[in-house]
Amino acid sequence: MSKVIRLVWFDLKPQLTPPVWIVMQWVVFSIQILIYGTLISQLVIPQPPQFPPGVNFDYLKFYAVGLVVMMTFEIGSHTGRHFVEHAHEGRLPYLLSLPISRSTLFFVIALQGGAELALMLTVPLAFTMVILGNLTIISVAACVFTLFWLGFGVAGLMLGLSFIAFKSSDFYTAIVTGLSTVIIRFSTVLYPLIFLPASYAGAALLSPLTYGSDLVRLLLGFDPSILLDPRIAVAVLTALAVSTLGLGLVLMQRLVEGVKSA
Amino acid sequence: MAVLLSLNLSDMLVVALVYKNMMRIDYMKYFVPAVVVMGLFAASLDTGRRIWLAFREGVVQYELSLPISTNGIVIAYLLAGGLAAMVYSSSLLLIAMIVLPAQAIWSVVMLLPCLFVLATGLAGISAAFAALASTRGEFFFAYQQIVQVGLLTLSTVPYPIDVVKNVFPPFLTAIVSANPLSQAADAMRKFTFAGNPIELSALLGILLSSIPFTIVGALAYSTALHRLRVKGKL
Repeated sequence: MSKVIRLVWFDLKPQLTPPVWIVMQWVVFSIQILIYGTLISQLVIPQPPQFPPGVNFDYLKFYAVGLVVMMTFEIGSHTGRHFVEHAHEGRLPYLLSLPISRSTLFFVIALQGGAELALMLTVPLAFTMVILGNLTIISVAACVFTLFWLGFGVAGLMLGLSFIAFKSSDFYTAIVTGLSTVIIRFSTVLYPLIFLPASYAGAALLSPLTYGSDLVRLLLGFDPSILLDPRIAVAVLTALAVSTLGLGLVLMQRLVEGVKSA
Repeated sequence: MAVLLSLNLSDMLVVALVYKNMMRIDYMKYFVPAVVVMGLFAASLDTGRRIWLAFREGVVQYELSLPISTNGIVIAYLLAGGLAAMVYSSSLLLIAMIVLPAQAIWSVVMLLPCLFVLATGLAGISAAFAALASTRGEFFFAYQQIVQVGLLTLSTVPYPIDVVKNVFPPFLTAIVSANPLSQAADAMRKFTFAGNPIELSALLGILLSSIPFTIVGALAYSTALHRLRVKGKL
């Protein structure tokens, strides 16, 4: 375990001395909530006709949660890109030469991603909790667990895709950026499913962020009538995390030997 | 550029369409013209990334060895950045005109030179950050992201000025109004898509708000190159 922690710290330390990236994420989040979120929510109809009667739509709170989920997705994606950077910079052969098993190395990568997620999300999540108010310890703990579970699932997906980079780094960047764009836009991160046209709603149901964001909102007290069934959300997030992390583990053990990043 | 195109197209065809169902205003009509300006902004900022890469990978040493003055290199980068952004935003504009028929297509001809100056101004901002971050190169993207988010949120690209006036104090509203992105987006909405007659004051506003950024960016980049030429390092 000490080897694992030492390796995680080895990777995390450059980001903390100085913590420019982490503070930048907090600043960007604050600007987006305090300025964009406040202003755009002035344009949103407070009781849309598409909603059940009596259900109010506070878009600032909705958007704040969506932004936290989006950050979780981006940090999870960064884990995959980080792995590609390791290969590109020649760090991967060094890591593979260490006296640890491939599965332990995979565990280190996942844990490093989790640590990064915890650091990046601390202030934004606390800020969002303050905006929402009226929360319980159980709902906050469940929300944090869901975000980490979603983060691991996304990290596993991006780690699995990162092996494309060993053929072509440019192709990998294009695929990951395009996929990220589609996954975020076609989801309920920014708007409830009820507002999406029928063709877009079908695509949104394929995005893991739809289930992640609706589950987090349910745990934080949003009206369930505008959200997806939580049982389906839990099943999808679990399936995503288990399958992508499992795939990443297999790929790490089978494909990573002797690869070079293009 | 294909990656940027996917981002901006998804904003135009997905976000704008869905927000239209949620908002008091016809958000599609409001936001689609502004996406063209957002695309211009994003493409202009790529100039800074290329300058930063040139510093990082030593290509700048080769550029300085060419028979061209330091100012010539600066002007070349800013012009190239502006032109690339114009080409990119023109493709977005064509798509926007299909999505939301423009009432006065010929107004675009009048707007193009102003948008080019805006693009060079935005490229200048990016060049300034690349020069500033040249000694701590990894901070370039941090600076750029904060400026990008700041300029976009403090503009009328995503929301009308009336909404800003209702919420923000007067000095912040003035900043939003003076933002060159606000002026370009409003000009695109009023003249190209709504079909109002061109107002020269609006075009002058875009030029006057963009030129200072071009000058600051050019000076910062020129100073960094000069320091590199004289001392051999930044």
